[in-house]
Amino acid sequence: MKPAVILVGADKGGVGKTTVARALADYLTGKNIMTRAFDTESPRGTLKRFHGDMTEVVDIDSTSDQMRIIDTLNTAQVKVSIIDTRAGSLARTLRALRDVGFFDAVREGQFTFILFHVLGPSIASLDEIAETAPFVSNAHYFLVKNHVNDSTFFEWDPATYQNYFSKTRSAGELTIPKLSEMAYEQVEIAGSPFSQFVANKTGDGRQAAHSFVLRGYVRTWQGKIAEEFEEIGLLDLIAGASPKK
Amino acid sequence: MEQRTRVYICCSPHKRTGATTTARLLTEYLLFNGRGFAGFDTDPHEPDYGARFPQAVTIVDAAKVEGQVAMFDRLLVHDETPKIVDVWHRSYSRFIETMGQIGFMDEARRAMVQPIVLFHADATSASLAASHALAAQWPELGMVVVTNKGAAPLGPDASDILAQFPSSRRFAIGALDASSRACFDAPDFSLSRFLQAPPPDMSIVTRTGLRAWVAPIFTQFQTFELQMSMQAAQFL
Repeated sequence: MKPAVILVGADKGGVGKTTVARALADYLTGKNIMTRAFDTESPRGTLKRFHGDMTEVVDIDSTSDQMRIIDTLNTAQVKVSIIDTRAGSLARTLRALRDVGFFDAVREGQFTFILFHVLGPSIASLDEIAETAPFVSNAHYFLVKNHVNDSTFFEWDPATYQNYFSKTRSAGELTIPKLSEMAYEQVEIAGSPFSQFVANKTGDGRQAAHSFVLRGYVRTWQGKIAEEFEEIGLLDLIAGASPKK
Repeated sequence: MEQRTRVYICCSPHKRTGATTTARLLTEYLLFNGRGFAGFDTDPHEPDYGARFPQAVTIVDAAKVEGQVAMFDRLLVHDETPKIVDVWHRSYSRFIETMGQIGFMDEARRAMVQPIVLFHADATSASLAASHALAAQWPELGMVVVTNKGAAPLGPDASDILAQFPSSRRFAIGALDASSRACFDAPDFSLSRFLQAPPPDMSIVTRTGLRAWVAPIFTQFQTFELQMSMQAAQFL
């Protein structure tokens, strides 16, 4: 299996990008896929807070940190790397990856590149798609509608949406369903991965006393997200297969 | 075999089927036998069951996560204290949906909790369909079909109607005469207190009517409990 990089990003803040990265990290861990993560919210990362064991905080503009990510893709035992970009820096991260030759290596088949582009409910998110398009010709590109904080995507009229979609080739869609606010908040307070919360464990693995109802909501929510990942054939993509038609 | 903690869920998708009456009767049966219980009333607007036992019944809004946490988390505690839930007909769908969403049945099995649905039948096809939907969703769910002749009489075809329900377990609650009904419905009336010491000023006819009505009901509860205990017994 060739190394795979999964970039989770958005050019707009507050769209739940790190939530998607956390759900992804949980999903892969649950599938026994050894995964490492890079949190570009330097110096203090949110992803690092929830998935401290697997996450390094990096500055994507720093050459040494770029080397820590890219130069270790081939040598690291862990073949799947999640990069959670900091708010508003998707385009900048993509440019940085282009400048270091990462996309050339993807085109040559050295690496698998999957991009989860988390969209907000406003038309500005659609503009991001156009900006992102030049970087994703060899990526498995997925637009993520994140409803976890009850976004309704009310500003998207179908005609505009289709117009933007037609600009990107091979863009798939992924929907992150809403999670009960109270359940989400309790996981935040617990500071543990979603799966640890469901297992009634604290972040450091000790027995917790989380509400069963809230754990149940999180478990159901995770199940729906897993269905979404399975729908796009994420594990196959990571393994190097062609995308589902 | 260890006894599981029983959770009685008195419910119906329709109003006026007698679910609150059954919740009350079960509660009075436990109190009459000197036993404790924890109750829940999911009608946050006019909680008749909750108002009658304010010390032991929690009134919750099953549509809100806070209410769900207050109720379901407690229902899953294996403390051998029977739990009784009076499911308001307007919260029925949400209650069942929440049970599914949070994986209530699986957790109940793990936690040594035994949910028993007291499904209140009426003569509509929707009632029958709702009972079958429940049984299809959770085949392992203990279901008792309750008929309340005073609240929702099934008419002359009662036995044919009941035969279509997915459980052969039955509770039959008879109809009360008007004066006994008025007494039973009074806000401060306690059946268990009445059975221990009937008020001297109560009409003999009313006393007799109430006693005659409640005796077979309590017998059914007792028989049901015995059956449950025998099923759980390691040696027979």
